[in-house]
Amino acid sequence: MHMAAFLLKRIAGLLGVLLGMSVLIFGIVHILPGNVAYAILGEFASPAAIATLEAKLGLNDPLPVQYWRWLSAMLQGDFGMSLVMSRPAAPLIAEALGRSALLAGFSFALIAAGGIALGLYAATHHGRTSDKVLTLAQFVLIAVPEFFWAILAVLFFASWMNLLPATGYAPMSSGVASWAAHLVLPVMVLSFGLVAHVSRLTRSSMLEVLDSRYVLAARARGLPEGRVLWRHALPNALLPAITVLAIDAGLLIGGIVVVETVFAYPGLGRLLVFAIERHDLPLLQVGMMVVTAVYAVANLIAELLYAMLNPRIRVAGATA
Amino acid sequence: MTISRRTLIGTSLAATTTAAIGPAHAAGNVLRIGIGSSLNTLDPMLVTIGDEYIYTNLAFNGLTRMSEDLVVQPDLAESWTYSSDIKEWTFKLRRGVKFHDGQEMVADDVVAFFRRLLDPANSAPSRSQYDMVESVTAPDAGTVVFKLSIPYGGFADILTDRQVKITPRGAAGQMATKPIGTGPFKVVSYTAGDRLVLARNPDYFEPGAPKLDGVELRIIPEMSVKIAALQAGDIDVVWDLPLEQVKPLSARADLRVDSVPTASWDGAIMNNTIPPFNDKRVRQAFHLAVDKKDVVELTLFGQGVDTISPIPPSHPFFAKDLVVPKANPAAAKKLLAEAGFPNGVKVAIVVPVGRPVRERLGVTLQQLAKAGGFDLQVQRVPFSSFAAEVSGKAPLYIDGFFSRPTIDTSLFPFLRSKGSWNDRLWHYSDEAVDRALDAARLSGDPVVQKKNYIDFQAALTANPASFFAYTVNYACAYRKSIAGVKTHPMRWFDLRTATMS
Repeated sequence: MHMAAFLLKRIAGLLGVLLGMSVLIFGIVHILPGNVAYAILGEFASPAAIATLEAKLGLNDPLPVQYWRWLSAMLQGDFGMSLVMSRPAAPLIAEALGRSALLAGFSFALIAAGGIALGLYAATHHGRTSDKVLTLAQFVLIAVPEFFWAILAVLFFASWMNLLPATGYAPMSSGVASWAAHLVLPVMVLSFGLVAHVSRLTRSSMLEVLDSRYVLAARARGLPEGRVLWRHALPNALLPAITVLAIDAGLLIGGIVVVETVFAYPGLGRLLVFAIERHDLPLLQVGMMVVTAVYAVANLIAELLYAMLNPRIRVAGATA
Repeated sequence: MTISRRTLIGTSLAATTTAAIGPAHAAGNVLRIGIGSSLNTLDPMLVTIGDEYIYTNLAFNGLTRMSEDLVVQPDLAESWTYSSDIKEWTFKLRRGVKFHDGQEMVADDVVAFFRRLLDPANSAPSRSQYDMVESVTAPDAGTVVFKLSIPYGGFADILTDRQVKITPRGAAGQMATKPIGTGPFKVVSYTAGDRLVLARNPDYFEPGAPKLDGVELRIIPEMSVKIAALQAGDIDVVWDLPLEQVKPLSARADLRVDSVPTASWDGAIMNNTIPPFNDKRVRQAFHLAVDKKDVVELTLFGQGVDTISPIPPSHPFFAKDLVVPKANPAAAKKLLAEAGFPNGVKVAIVVPVGRPVRERLGVTLQQLAKAGGFDLQVQRVPFSSFAAEVSGKAPLYIDGFFSRPTIDTSLFPFLRSKGSWNDRLWHYSDEAVDRALDAARLSGDPVVQKKNYIDFQAALTANPASFFAYTVNYACAYRKSIAGVKTHPMRWFDLRTATMS
């Protein structure tokens, strides 16, 4: 099978996933408890006002009708209005997505570089004290949830040391230093667990490869240890790391919701939490579709990378 | 000198760090207030939450305003008079006031605003409070006349309300995105989840005000982070401080903590139409089972006062001489037995998840009411589902209401038979209560009002509608560099005279 055919097949699959998810998202959002009319009008609303608003918003139409209206509008590029804020949803989401992408981008780079480097270090220092200390640290980082690290980081770096801003986001226009200072803590906390995750995996796959016969053969042929490590062992050891990085893109999206909430960072995660709390269904649906799309595309990229590095996969079409 | 790679990295790192430490906290003369949630809407007529009321009171004015000691003062209206039957109210407007876009504010704007508020199609949350308004007209550019369907002595008082802010006529469509008011600060930008930025209105009608260059409402949902940001100097004020933080933060030298009594109340809502609370004796027994002073201590850490009704004990109309039966669990059990529950009452109590004080109240009542024969099962339901699923339906649940501008608006809709809130909470009806509430609103004389409200509290004690636990304090923490701000019991800020040093 050629690379082009492989790509087409994967993209078709991606569209199928998005369509399926659109049904699921629409359905789940509509069985959420509560009611958008109450959420908009607040606790002082009279039943008559609620009924008027429900009719105005078309909330009384059958669900399939509402779904079709939503999907066809979205296909035509109309992403609807945020009910609660009475603003178009698309620019809200786009702005928030941009700021989240900033967090995610820096974190992802840190996770990939830090995770693989630490993993390799641990594998080559297998069994020594430094490896044991790293292992312990990694388990602690994986086991303790982000919100704990986030609050600890705020207390330490903002409250006690007074070194970094506790919360928020500063645009580039307020100066690069301020912009960067606002990113440090969220990126750090977001990366903690996943760096540990990736480095654990890199360590074990590297150890496995180092134990294999072809590495033994390479060593037996008297190749320098550096060459054995970097040219023979590393490329194969990295394959699982790429898969796990793609999975981690999903975990990263989950982590972003938590981290953005704690650090009051105005990204997509905050916007989704806001939409859920206020029952802002159009905003929530579009936001979840965007998250789905990001995740699906991240997976596609990982799969393509994997296929490029490992020809067996695109020949057999083995992965699902 | 040769510059090695290491020293180069070292110096540039040092430069970035110092840069990050310094300007990250610099803010000029802009007051930064930490609030809890994103504003849903910027349209002042449609706001419904405390975070939004802060904004409407900075960017807009009403016809009248309420000071921190709850006195009604002129705002956009300079003066007002009412007819002898208290059914026609005439307001003289302050002249020469300009909206943020430079247009002059005239009577037609006020009329247009009230017509918009009263139009059911606009679903204004506060519309039901103004359903006595029959007409609103502008005989000239500086006069507005309201004709009411009933005599209503508190009309100038309810115009202090947070949702009744005058906006320019014909601009309703842009209020959600580009709001325009007459207030001391004007909206610059809003980013949901981040901040609302307001700048000084140089044309504000009161000379010398405001003194600040601007105000930022920073949206920080996590309270521990908000407090850390205050201590670090990232923000200057924490709005609505959790009551358990009042004592610890008061001890800090760089902060000032204010805790003031309000008329906001929490309570256990009992449905008077379904068992077991349809029996007056069961409601009385609940009052005998629980000591409200213990509830204040356990739920509010002492930052509140036990009350009889929504009239706060700090108010002159509070019935301080009324004898309220003391807590007596044995008597409670006896009364329950008389009501047909010799083995006590077992019932669920629904508490709102996401309202920590009210959650704590539910658990406190579950513990305290045990001795009096009440076996309460705590059920947790998200607060966002409360209005649709719990209010007016569950036999027993925890709820509460924020201060309203007048005693009449805090009581009449709630406890008068067929009142709008009565039908959505407890379905209560008592002749003596009805008589007292009717008489109080028909008089403009505080002495007559006081007598009637004391009668009302006596009648309510004899036949409790529900368990009004306490009126709760409201606290804010300020950095000591902030001066000229009083903590307002209505939970908004008046920042006309605020300064920063």
